[in-house]
Parts: sequence; C-alpha cells; structure tokens
Amino acid sequence: MPQTIATLVDIILNSLVLGGVFLIVAIGLNIIYGLNRVMNLAHGSLYALGAYFGFTLVASGLNYFVALILAPVAVGLLGLVLERVLISPIRHHSIVYTLILTYGLMFCLDGAIKFFWGVETRFIRLPDFMRETVGLGPASYPMFRLVILIAIAAVMGALMFFLGNTRFGMNMRATADIPEMVSALGINVRFVQVGAFVLGCVLAGIAGVLAGPLFTVFPIMGHEMLISSFVVIVIGGLGSLRGCIYAALLIGLVQTLAEFFITDLAMVIVYMLMALILAVKPRGLVGEGRFE
Amino acid sequence: MNNIHTAAMPAPALKRMRASKLNLLLFLTGVTVVAILPLILPNKFYLRLTNEIMIYGLLAMSLDLLLGYTGLLSFMHNAYLGIGAYATGILLIHVFPESLWLAIIGGVLITVLISAPVGWVQVRTGGLAFALLTVAFGMMFYTVGWKWYSLTGGDDGLMGVPQPDITFFGIKIVSSGDSFGIYYFTLIIVLGLFLLTWRVVHSPLGAVLEAIRENEQRAAFIGINVRLYKLIGWMMACGLAGVAGSIYILYRGYTGPGVMSAFAGAGVLMMVLLGGMGSLWGPFLGAAVFIFMQDYISTMTEHWEFFVGLVVILLVLFMPGGLAGFYGIMTKPRGE
Repeated sequence: MPQTIATLVDIILNSLVLGGVFLIVAIGLNIIYGLNRVMNLAHGSLYALGAYFGFTLVASGLNYFVALILAPVAVGLLGLVLERVLISPIRHHSIVYTLILTYGLMFCLDGAIKFFWGVETRFIRLPDFMRETVGLGPASYPMFRLVILIAIAAVMGALMFFLGNTRFGMNMRATADIPEMVSALGINVRFVQVGAFVLGCVLAGIAGVLAGPLFTVFPIMGHEMLISSFVVIVIGGLGSLRGCIYAALLIGLVQTLAEFFITDLAMVIVYMLMALILAVKPRGLVGEGRFE
Repeated sequence: MNNIHTAAMPAPALKRMRASKLNLLLFLTGVTVVAILPLILPNKFYLRLTNEIMIYGLLAMSLDLLLGYTGLLSFMHNAYLGIGAYATGILLIHVFPESLWLAIIGGVLITVLISAPVGWVQVRTGGLAFALLTVAFGMMFYTVGWKWYSLTGGDDGLMGVPQPDITFFGIKIVSSGDSFGIYYFTLIIVLGLFLLTWRVVHSPLGAVLEAIRENEQRAAFIGINVRLYKLIGWMMACGLAGVAGSIYILYRGYTGPGVMSAFAGAGVLMMVLLGGMGSLWGPFLGAAVFIFMQDYISTMTEHWEFFVGLVVILLVLFMPGGLAGFYGIMTKPRGE
C-alpha cells in the first residue's frame, strides 16, 4: 500500500511540474497573441535559448538562481530586438505572413543554437542542496523538482499580481480587449504591445532555465515544447488566460499518466484528447477563446 | 478569421476559363523542356534531381491549392506525402507485390481516409488554430512513423520495397527500376494532375473556395457551407499529396521518417512562397529553385537550416508574391 501512495504522490507532483512548465511557455505565447495578434512560432526556440543562456551562465560559475534571473532578461532583450526588426514591419499584414515569418525565424534561431553550442546534450549544474531527495510521508521526491515547482508557483503568482494589480498590467488586459478604447484614453498602445511581446519572451526564458534540469538541454528542445503549448492554447481557447491554466494542468496530468502507463506513444493520447475536446467545445475548455 | 489575406496579397484577377495565348505558349514550352530533358542531360544525377523536383512540385502545388485558393495554412503538408509513401510501400510489400496500380490507388485512398478525420477536427476551429493543429497532427504522424517499428521500420525507414513493372491494361510499359521510364511516368501523372487541378480551381467549386479565402463570413451569408467546403479543399490537397507520396516511393524505393519532419515541411512552404501562392504553376518553379539551391548550399555548409529560415524571412518581408507575383506584374495590361 505505501508503494501505491508513493507512486500516486510521484505522479501528482510530476504532472504539476510538467503542467507548470507548459503553463509558463503557453501563457507567454498567449499574452503575445492576445495583444499583438501574432502567433510567434519561434517561441519554442526562445525557450531553448533561455535554457542555453542558463547553461552558459551556470557553467561560467554563477549560481543557478542568479542565472534564473539573468537568462530571461537576455531572452527578453533579444525579443525586443526581434519585435522591432521583424515583427513590427508586418504586424498589419495578414496572419498567414506573420505565421510564416516566425516559422522561418524558428529555423534561424535553431541554426544559431547549433552553431554556437553544438548538437550535443548539455546539463545545467545544480547547487548541492538541490541534488538530494526529500521524504514526503511514504514517498520521497527529488529536491530540485520541488524547488522548480515552488519557482513555477512564484512566477505565476507574480504574473497574476502584475496583470491584476499594477497599472501596466491592467493596461495590458484592457488592450487585449479593446485597443481602440485604450488608445482613446491616451495610453500608448504600441508601448503596451511591445511590452507584452517582451514579457512573453521573458516567460519563455524563465521556462527554459527551469526546464533545463528537468529535461536536459538540446538544440531542438523547443519544438516539443512549442507543440505542447499549441495544444494547451488550442484546448484552453485562443487568447484566454483562464482556459490556458486549466488546459496546461490537464495536459500535464494526461501526459504524465500516458507516459507512466504506455510510454512510447504518449503524445498520441494527448492529441486524441485534444480532438475530442475540440469536437465538443471548439472555443476551448472555458468557451472564451477567440474564433479567428 | 474573416479576412486571412489582406494587404500584400495580389488582388485576384478575374478568372477566365481560357488561358491567354502567351500563358499557353509558356506552359507548352515548359512541358516540352521537361520532356526532352532526359535526352540531353549529361548524367543520371540530374535526371533524378528533375524527377524529385516534379514530385515536390506536385506536393507544393497541392499546398498551394490549400493556401493560395482556400486560404488555409498547413505547416506540415509533407506529412501527407509521407503517409502516401508509407501506405503505398506497405501495400507493395505485404499486399500487392505484383500490381503497382492497386498499391498506388490503395495508398492514395488510405491518405484521404486518414486526412478526413484530421480535417474534420481542424475545420471546426478558425484559420489560426487550423494552422497550429496542422503542426500538432503532423508531428503526431512523424512520431508514429518514427516509433512504430514493426510497421514502418522506425528510424531505418521502410526498406525492401519491390519495384514492379508498370503495366497498362496488361501491356508492359516500363520495366522495374528503369529511371527513364519512371521519369516519364512521373511526368505524365504530374501533368495530368496539374491539368485536373487547374480545371478544378476554374470551376464553380474553385470559386467557392476563393470566396471562403476572401471572406468567410460573407461566404457563409450567401449559403455556402464553409466547414464542408474547407474540408473538401483540405481532402483534395491531401489526396494530391498522397499521389506525390506514391510516386516518391516508386522513384526512391525507400522512405524514412525524415520526409515527414517539421524541417521538410518548412521546405515545402518555402517552395510555395518562392514560386508565389495562388498560381498553381509557381510552386513547380519554386520547387525547382529550392531543390537546386538545397543541393548546392548543403555541399558548402552544414548550417543549411539557418539559411532556409533566413530566406523564408526575407521572402515574407520583401517578396511576398513570389516569382509568380513578378510575372503577374510584368504581364499586367497597362492602365489597370
């Protein structure tokens, strides 16, 4: 019996960690989409870049937690440059062009990663105290996963506070709904939109540094994450942050269970679930997705 | 998505059922050049390259039918080439080792049958989610091709595919493994499908698809069942991709999961962009330029991926109409 409880605790915590990483990546993508009407297909590569920046910073002797702050800032700065140079000129074209452009950008960034860091798998070195396991009743759980879970919760809490209680966050939510009205109130909408793009990139960078120790660091790590976050966004409803949270936790749980029971073709189960949900609720789980 | 193609998309010209004399002349010249190419090319390598261009041109044309005419974006259309190739190959190995035609028809049928439920799910969402879902489902097919070792051969690919003689009502036309024969076989099928697709996009069905591309809501208001016609467009495109896959396995005698990868999908999209969307013949030109360039650049640098991405970005920023867009500007009557 203790064995069963231990497995159960393991599955629940693992699904929360996986769902949490999906959530941070997907919510960044969703914020960018909600304000800019640009679906950034290079988001997964920015996540991979975050992990590689984290790897380089830790390898150069910095503490993991310092890297957790510095690497996302670097990704955010890169995002600012990309927004100004590439996304901004074609914002008002049809969404097909932005999709194709960011698809090209994804391959460019992947090529750059392979050029600078090579194709071999890298490991982010963790501080000593995070390499132990902690006992939770009959179960024991790796310390670093627990720390990552707490970090995910902290990031989400900070994001919710930012969006709900600060002036800039409120401007952002208002701009997502009616940009014309916000503009008429004398708020610089372009500034808010660029801010949202950078915020999304920072979130991708945070997720990259957090996921580095979980899944190891390799050049195409962003592809899987990009596809999982598509699934999360589509199930949750395009542009819906509430739906995104439910969908991320659901997909985290389903994927953990599927990997536990049938291993190899776990993703097929996830896609089947997505097809089922879309057949019943085409606007996402909470039914507030945009229909574009 | 009420208007998927807005600025930068060339305005659709009024359709005439008859092609202009200049276009007809250029078309006949192009076909003649491709037809006599094997007789003048110095070696077999270029013969195979041209054969590959025709196959990928067919695939790019089917994506153009979806993207340029129906206004739906598929990032991983190569997945359906892969399904067609795997299905035809598996049928050739296990079911019809003797009859090529049955294997090809079966392979294309399987592709269409697989694409139907996928398309049904995809058209229930809007244009943007449609594009995202093509990536998700494409990756699913890639994973299946890669992991289902007993059926697809996994990482090693499908090997030992028999290459039967090509017969026509009992008369042997091409003996097995003859690359000249397969070249002309490919040419005839691709040409036939091009003319068929040209006829379809100039029919009332094509007009309905373009109406959906231009404005989905208005199309719905005049009584068009938007989801049904999107599904029809999607299944036509997947069927054509399946034919391309059948010819692909006939010409290669082998297929691996690599043809279904996301990177290969970007290549197909780039062929369409390079050639120009909404022209049908542009993608063939795009495929020719792309495959020659790939062959040339990949010998010089291993960072081919980076350059593909860069060229896609530059094309979208500076040349959204592609080569067909240039041709359209050059031949536009004055005073318009």
